[in-house]
Amino acid sequence: MTGHPAERRRHWQEAGDLLLVYRETMGRPPRLGDPPGAALAVGPQRELYLAVDGDGRVTAFNGHVDLGTGIRTALAQIVAEELDVPFDRVAMELGSTATAPDQGGTIASETIQIAAVPLRLAAATARRHLVEAASRRLNRGTTELAVEAGTVRVAAEPDRGVPYGDLVRGARTELTLDPDAPLKAVEDYTLVGTPVPRVDIRPKATGAWTYVHDVRVPGMLHGRVVRPPAPGVDSVVGGLLIGVDDSSVAHIPGLVAVVVEGDFVGIVAEREENAAEAARCLRATWRPVDGLPDLNRPEAALRDNPATPRRLLDRGDVERALAHARARLDRTYVWPYQMHGSIGPSCAVAAFRDGDLVVWSGTQNPHALRGDLALLLDLPEERIAIERHEAAGCYGRNCADDVAADAALLARAVGRPVRVQLTREQEHAWEPKGAAQVMDVRGGLDAEGGPAAYDFETRYPSNGAPTLALILTGKVEATPAVYPMGDRTAVPPYAFGHARVTVHDMPPIARASWLRGVSALPNTFAHESYIDELATAAGIDPIEYRLRYLDDPRAAALVRAVAERAAWVPHTRPGTHGGSGDILYGRGFAYAVYVHGPFPGKAAAWAAWVADVAVNRVTGEVAVTRVVVGQDSGLMINPDGVRHQIHGNVIQSTSRVLRESVGFDATGVTSREWGSYPILAFPQVPEIDVLMVPRQDQPPLGAGESASVPSAAAITNALFDATGIRFRELPLTADSVRAALNPPRIAGPDEPPRRRRGFLAGLFGAGAGMLALATTLMPWRPTYPSIERPDPAAYAAATIAQGRLVAAAGACLVCHAGPDRTSFAGGRGLETPFGLVYASNITPDPGAGIGAWSYPAFARAMREGVSRDGHHLYPAHPYPSFSGIAERDLQALYAYLMAQAPVAARAPETALRFPFSLRPLMAEWNALFHRPATVADPARGPDWNRGAYLVEALGHCAACHSPRNVLGAERRGAAHLGGGFADGWEAPALAGLSRAPLPWTEDDLFAYLRTGRSPRHGSAAGPMADVVASLGPLPDADIRAMAVYLASLAGEGPAPWPGRAVASAPPAASSLFQGACASCHEGGAGGDLVPLGLVTSLHSAHPDNLIQAILNGVAASAERFPTADPTAPPAAMPAFRETLTDGQVAEAAAYARARYAPGAPAWDGLEAAVARVRGLKPHAGL
Amino acid sequence: MQDDRRPVANDPRLAPVRHGLTVNGRSVAVEAAPGTRLLYVLRNDLALNGPKYGCGLGQCGSCTVLVDGRALRSCAIPVRAAVGRRITTLEGLGSGGRLHPVQEAFIAENAAQCGYCLNGMILTTVALLAANPDPSEAEIRSSLQANLCRCGTHIEILRAVRAAAARLRAARTGSDGGEA
Repeated sequence: MTGHPAERRRHWQEAGDLLLVYRETMGRPPRLGDPPGAALAVGPQRELYLAVDGDGRVTAFNGHVDLGTGIRTALAQIVAEELDVPFDRVAMELGSTATAPDQGGTIASETIQIAAVPLRLAAATARRHLVEAASRRLNRGTTELAVEAGTVRVAAEPDRGVPYGDLVRGARTELTLDPDAPLKAVEDYTLVGTPVPRVDIRPKATGAWTYVHDVRVPGMLHGRVVRPPAPGVDSVVGGLLIGVDDSSVAHIPGLVAVVVEGDFVGIVAEREENAAEAARCLRATWRPVDGLPDLNRPEAALRDNPATPRRLLDRGDVERALAHARARLDRTYVWPYQMHGSIGPSCAVAAFRDGDLVVWSGTQNPHALRGDLALLLDLPEERIAIERHEAAGCYGRNCADDVAADAALLARAVGRPVRVQLTREQEHAWEPKGAAQVMDVRGGLDAEGGPAAYDFETRYPSNGAPTLALILTGKVEATPAVYPMGDRTAVPPYAFGHARVTVHDMPPIARASWLRGVSALPNTFAHESYIDELATAAGIDPIEYRLRYLDDPRAAALVRAVAERAAWVPHTRPGTHGGSGDILYGRGFAYAVYVHGPFPGKAAAWAAWVADVAVNRVTGEVAVTRVVVGQDSGLMINPDGVRHQIHGNVIQSTSRVLRESVGFDATGVTSREWGSYPILAFPQVPEIDVLMVPRQDQPPLGAGESASVPSAAAITNALFDATGIRFRELPLTADSVRAALNPPRIAGPDEPPRRRRGFLAGLFGAGAGMLALATTLMPWRPTYPSIERPDPAAYAAATIAQGRLVAAAGACLVCHAGPDRTSFAGGRGLETPFGLVYASNITPDPGAGIGAWSYPAFARAMREGVSRDGHHLYPAHPYPSFSGIAERDLQALYAYLMAQAPVAARAPETALRFPFSLRPLMAEWNALFHRPATVADPARGPDWNRGAYLVEALGHCAACHSPRNVLGAERRGAAHLGGGFADGWEAPALAGLSRAPLPWTEDDLFAYLRTGRSPRHGSAAGPMADVVASLGPLPDADIRAMAVYLASLAGEGPAPWPGRAVASAPPAASSLFQGACASCHEGGAGGDLVPLGLVTSLHSAHPDNLIQAILNGVAASAERFPTADPTAPPAAMPAFRETLTDGQVAEAAAYARARYAPGAPAWDGLEAAVARVRGLKPHAGL
Repeated sequence: MQDDRRPVANDPRLAPVRHGLTVNGRSVAVEAAPGTRLLYVLRNDLALNGPKYGCGLGQCGSCTVLVDGRALRSCAIPVRAAVGRRITTLEGLGSGGRLHPVQEAFIAENAAQCGYCLNGMILTTVALLAANPDPSEAEIRSSLQANLCRCGTHIEILRAVRAAAARLRAARTGSDGGEA
């Protein structure tokens, strides 16, 4: 499918040498949510289904699209078979609105069962025409002719024949599809029913396939969108946006536009990474949103949701039968919110040309999308073409249409083609969810042990999820419509004498729409669990019990065949499969025929499962170990394709039943990546034995969803067999199963929360003392007169070069780089316990910087913390350390700074909280705490002494690595280099015993300071990464000297934990850690990471550094360090700030701690710590 | 405090820089900010569609590329860190006009539904079999466990990996025999 859609359309409309088959219909297919009569109102339609060209090549058109199921191959098989042409002569064009017919959305497993029917008839119509044409050409009756590989031959004279192409050439012939065209007999099929390899796999396996993500058009720009802070809740959007601050993205290179229309906010940039960065930086202000009911346990919210009951079935006398039941059995089943989880977030490209719009989209309903875009953009539908390309698999309505509309809005705004890629977080948050569902069954046993009655009610809060941009821009009201879609397979398949079925039609709560199996999957969970419960109560084998009430012979035959294939042993009570050790085994059965489409609906393929499970009774982990699955699909076009669909349905639905539940808080969806929405992975995939009932003589039935439908009940019935406990709420996570297996007996005594003495309490106590002191000492110091900025030429090049090394060793830039990283410009705020302290401008600008400072003024500031004008500097400037700097070095540093480019921008004034806001108090502070740092010991040799100088004076390591007292002074003596905090990061202890699991040797320290990484301890991050980067210019000898000195400070062995010995229980598995972290930290996909067990931050008393790394990410070594370790992994750690909630970060951190630092005590108050670190300004970096 | 996070004009981190890369055996030069993810560079600057954007968080594996023979996540690799390393994408796996045996095995087993994860599955398998020519079932599953597939193609993929291992072993035995 190449070329502009309008040109392709014209080709098929006008070109010669073509045989074309059109189908005439009245109106278009109805769409969900259509006003009455809308479908018919479009009038008579004439749409192209098939074209044969002068070379005998066939192009077939279908309105349904390939969602990854292989339907492109199966449809081509049908066409090739009916036309008798080789398979590779048929090309399918699917879902392009310019050329393909409107056959409604690709939903409800209808493609083969319904949408392929006119295609087959079109092929039959063309074949009849071609045979008749050949009859005239060959002068033989049609009965004497046969078609073979696209050539019509005289049967008796195989050498006489005419190829289709010859019959087509020379004219343009338009046929109208004849519904009565003679169809080929099934027994004559040679292609349909065979496992033709899929046509798309080879290009997909080589990177040659063009997914919608891969569409590029000339002049294309890149877009990103910014969604309102109500993730996945579309009913509250519209009017939420207060404003957008364009200046927040003014720094983005190649920014083209910030587009705002109502609550729609989008960014367009020349390059994709810049569009992504702009979307991250854009400051948008929204009205706060919350008030979502608890959807994590959705039963109450669904019962409270306004609903209209709709009676689908009322047979017999349910109330009377219930009144006479021998035993009542009333049950409630609850299904959670789930998601499609397409592996590729949705993407689209939109372009206007001469006022006409083309959108390349992965939509599952191109024609309906075209209607949405017409409404959104006030364009007639004829001026819009949807070019449908495959996207990542979707199993219903994901964000494909949303992103198409986003792209159209942005392309219109900037007048150039725009590609919009949603982020993982956006797709997870905003995709219309598979809705939660609540099913109630009232019933019981009659005197004979049969079902007394079946009173079934179901609640399904979902609709068609209007395309988001329509709501965001106010084109469509946010008030959700009610779609009557809870009725799929709501009527049970069993011949209950007294039965009543009621569906409570209701609007969505969170954004929801159809997901594979729609409401049928939950409804069948109830039907098939309930009949299992009845069988147990009646003391009858569950399969035998079902067969008594299953009056559909094909269903019964399938049930028997699956039971036999699985070697089902009839049983009347659970526990027949026993267990070993902590593992219990069980086996369960379920059956369904998936009835889809508007009530009463159509039946797709029949399916039945026997599931085997293993349950760990201690941990609660459930494994589905084997599934025997049978399916009766009628005629199978491509048996391999059907088998593939069965495998996919079994695996995906097992995942949904065992693991999947969307997390919510009061604002919306909190599952925004794969850790918080884990899906089944390879190690958990069951063995699958597929039984396909051969029914090639029966009409083909939809196979895209059926095998999912029995999943939940088969698995929970197996779990009942294993444990004797019925699970009526999904998913079957280890936590929920463990809780059911091990109900809490006695609540253990809660450990009293450990509280540190409040920082403020200490502060105010000390502050009072400071105020008292202030009256007795002279706070002001004299001013040094200002000077002309010294001429850099006055300094020898060697002096300036020496000064550069001094600045490197002192890591001046770590604090004094400007917010835009301009060297020495200052203005960057540093988080201190007392508030934000702004580093000053130390460029030689006379006004904003230190250009007017004489050397004595500079030296006083460095050594005594007094500014040129006499005011006191805060000890964030580490003058106590700098007092030990050698005179020669300080002079060189002055020369170096004076040789820098002046920057006229003033750094912001530091404004601390009282009492620290009183700068004069720093005089008393100095009187109390300022002790020059000098360390020297001639006995220790030159390396050690050089190292001591670099560490203690120039490097001022103590400024961060020593604890400070409540007045902000470094603590001395034993506490010196005993660990501290800097800019929100913990600076671990350098002296005494370390918490690191392996000791820091001199070589470790050298590697760490030189390359930023010690393979035995981890990488430098946060401010320390900047320090290492800053040390880059220093010679190895200096780094070695620092390592020698620091190694001499280290104690022997790891520091013991205070208090009682900790023996924490081995951690329960964390699916969050597994999904969010393990790919790199346990699986190696990030490269040669330092094993987590060795990483120092996991062993610390404080969780801060681990939290910092998770929230803000860690840049790759090659980005951070001038002399990076060549073995360091090339990958960076992604930032999870936008993705994980505080609770989720805390869970991952707690698990990592327990798993990888098993000797260390658990961190207290983790979630609060995450909230605190999240509130800190992230360290800006060099 | 908020103001301090305000970005400033001409942020040097975002300024484009020229990077020399070795991709699929060819030397190429691209201009991008140093922190630009390799995935974007491969797709947008080099028009290589094999690696796919899936999560941007290193979780799903659809962006996998080989870096010096190891299967890593290009969504987490800054382009600057890719300098000096051998990058191989799905497009560069084959040689001499022939597909890699792992690709052939995946095609033969129809081991894709939507195929969006296929890139990561194939490249992870290539790296696995290079390091471990005869992996056990558990080793195969474990090495693919952080490659997510949503369509449920795991059965076909596992079959393709086993078939690929057999193909590669057979090829090796054949060539060893030839040398002997």
